Amino acid sequence: MAPKKDPKAPAKKAEPAPAPAAAPAPAPAPAPAAAPAVDLSSVKGGDILFSLHTTDYREAFGLFDRVGDNKVAYNQIADIMRALGQNPTNKEVNKLLGNPSAEDMAQKRVEFEAFLPMLQTIINSPNKAGFEDYVEGLRVFDKEGNGTVMGAELRIVLSTLGEKMTEAEIDALMTGQEDENGCVNYEAFVKHIMSV
Amino acid sequence: MGCGVSKSNQFHKHSRKAAVLIQRWYRQYVARTEMRRRYTWHIFQSIEYSGEQAQIKVRSYCFSMRSVCYAVFSHQTELENRVYLAGNLISHIFRENDVCWDTEWERYFCYKNIEVPEVYSGPHLTFPLTVEQAVGLLEAFRNKKQLHSRYVLELLLETWKLLRLLPNINRISTCQSKEVTICGDLHGQLEDLLLIFYKNGTPSLEKPYLFNGDFVDRGKDSIEILLILFSFMLVYPCDVYLNRGNHEDHIINLRYGFTKEVLTKYKIHGKRILKLLQKIFSWLPLASVIDQKVLVLHGGISDSTDLGVLAKANRHNVRNTHARILSKSTDSVSSDTTKDEWRQILDVLWSDPMNQDGCMPNEVRGGGCYWGPDITEDFLNRNNMQLIIRSHECKQEGYEFCHNRKVLTLFSASNYYDVGSNRGAYVKLGPDLVPYVIQYQASSMTRELTARQSVGRTERSALKVLREQLFAHKSDLLCAFKKFDSKNTGLVSLNDWASAVESVMHLNLPWRTLRCQLVACKTADGTIDYCDWFNELHIDQSLLETLYRHRSTLETIFRIVDTDNSGFISMEDFRQTWKLLSVYLKMEITDEDICNLAVTIDSNQDGSIDIDEFMEAFRLTDKKSRLERGRSMFMGTASDLTKLEDDPSV
Repeated sequence: MAPKKDPKAPAKKAEPAPAPAAAPAPAPAPAPAAAPAVDLSSVKGGDILFSLHTTDYREAFGLFDRVGDNKVAYNQIADIMRALGQNPTNKEVNKLLGNPSAEDMAQKRVEFEAFLPMLQTIINSPNKAGFEDYVEGLRVFDKEGNGTVMGAELRIVLSTLGEKMTEAEIDALMTGQEDENGCVNYEAFVKHIMSV
Repeated sequence: MGCGVSKSNQFHKHSRKAAVLIQRWYRQYVARTEMRRRYTWHIFQSIEYSGEQAQIKVRSYCFSMRSVCYAVFSHQTELENRVYLAGNLISHIFRENDVCWDTEWERYFCYKNIEVPEVYSGPHLTFPLTVEQAVGLLEAFRNKKQLHSRYVLELLLETWKLLRLLPNINRISTCQSKEVTICGDLHGQLEDLLLIFYKNGTPSLEKPYLFNGDFVDRGKDSIEILLILFSFMLVYPCDVYLNRGNHEDHIINLRYGFTKEVLTKYKIHGKRILKLLQKIFSWLPLASVIDQKVLVLHGGISDSTDLGVLAKANRHNVRNTHARILSKSTDSVSSDTTKDEWRQILDVLWSDPMNQDGCMPNEVRGGGCYWGPDITEDFLNRNNMQLIIRSHECKQEGYEFCHNRKVLTLFSASNYYDVGSNRGAYVKLGPDLVPYVIQYQASSMTRELTARQSVGRTERSALKVLREQLFAHKSDLLCAFKKFDSKNTGLVSLNDWASAVESVMHLNLPWRTLRCQLVACKTADGTIDYCDWFNELHIDQSLLETLYRHRSTLETIFRIVDTDNSGFISMEDFRQTWKLLSVYLKMEITDEDICNLAVTIDSNQDGSIDIDEFMEAFRLTDKKSRLERGRSMFMGTASDLTKLEDDPSV
């Protein structure tokens, strides 16, 4: 809660020096339980652009800290990265965290300095998707090649394949997208989902 | 190798890839929406609390003025003359004529001479009140009727008589399998109360209710809510319980809208009604205990909260809960209420829980404390209790547990900050003392909005409010920027911009995250031209800017000055108020400025100023600039703009 973090929070606005000095080696001791499968010490903070935005990231990180200990839970990491404009799969994030158990996901917490290299890894990863990729992906379901896919089929796919979505999530996503025949114009659909 | 891959395998692979793409995108969308929701929340809450703080400052300033005035009695310098005059004014306002006996007051509040005209179409009340009449009142208010002032006064008098008999701490029991329904802040939102009664039933012998304070202010139907609660309490005095909140305080009401509401709805008898309510508020119980195990109070506790002390205090002597900050005199609190009792009552009404252990003063609110989980643990053990239920803070879901589920915050005003901002909740507590929470959200508009639209709408609202605040602090912000811009280039870096803004606004908001919403102009290398930025926000003359920033304070002061609650203040009082304000703001407002302003305001030149007209001038300015900025190129006249006042979409 905004007012109450004041007495505890140290001045957070100091910008880290650019280039090598900002190499955020993961905090040694607090590296929680299992060593991460990805060796984060090799992640260079050498990306100047990255370090310029560190303060922005720190701010967003703070918004997700509901407890006031300047840390966030494992199960929030993926969301924070997404809030910052990245697009990791849950699997990628779990790998970064060392494939923690469900209990660890809920209980363990990580502070900003340990979070940064994880974010850097995701930013550096080549898995960026653009408009065309999404359209391509959906074209797979376009049986008749007429620019539409069956809404029902899309729903089944989203709930059974990949990183399954819940019914509520699918409903929220598909609201207003299906026409009276239950079809979705997927180019329009992709424009819609990218217009946030 | 390729011939081994069948077509269906290929399809499956592509499907999976497509699915993952969409799922990833969707989760990103949800996360970003959540972040916008969170900072929107922060904005509203920070501004609300800093408003409360400002209110306290006004009041403590008024009190310090009085002590200063005694000290400078003999000096004749211009400044001190002003201070002395101001001090006189303030003394006049704060003098409590409490020496009257209650029977004299009863005569003053007598309703018997008030005639109810034939054309009156609202409900008629006869006393003692019956449940049919209470339900009838509910229906009448649902149909937008207003209760006649005669009945209002009669009902309030009966309520006052009842409240005087009640102890400081209500003792409630869930014997015979009765579940108690507990409601949090209502803040004048009648729709929410009606929704609760609809979902849960009206109060009765089988359905006891406890209302945890903050019934009034901000919403537009505060008086109706009070009348409903009081009428049910009169019908079922052993089954309807009320706790006092920090808004059950007439000085707070001056700022947050209740006073204005009553004076607008009851033009002739409003002042009497308000005076009677002052007494009623001070007689409201401070807390309730259920089955000796669950403590229910409005704000919270501190490390010194002692139920024994609270039970014995003379609660009705604490009229204004902040009256004694900075004041050495005891005018607002009678001498037989000790300082300790007074501070404990303050804690009960104003405190907020925090996550860290310990207890420290609540500087954001200006009253009460922040208390930690260790304090809760200690208090519950000492008093052999198991749960604290409190309100006082708006929560997105209408409720929130903290301190290891030993403290429950309950808030019953849904859509408090804006349509779609939050749900409301109420709690049912049976003999097992396990709280069962029910949530709701009033207003059909909310149901129709998608989550994204709802967040977007609230976000736009919050940003608008924030821009207003920034605009109003232009001079201070300029100074702060210049400090970072020693070479006078007119530019500051993003970092410096964020630091400067926070140093002036003190709202502890994520400025960097908000930057792209607040600043459109940005040079290629990421620096910000702050002069351009102010042009963006809107510029005005410095006097008007100051007035705009302080309009809530202004209105409060005006209403304080208007001691007979007539809605008018004399020119002389007006001038005095300005002098007071100029000292408070440490800013030169010349007599000429004041005269010019006064002439503009006093449109019929009769030597007195209608407060509402004056404030209306601000609302029109505000509305006009809102319209011009965003929605339409509206070229109507002033009266057209007023018509839009009730348009919910503007």
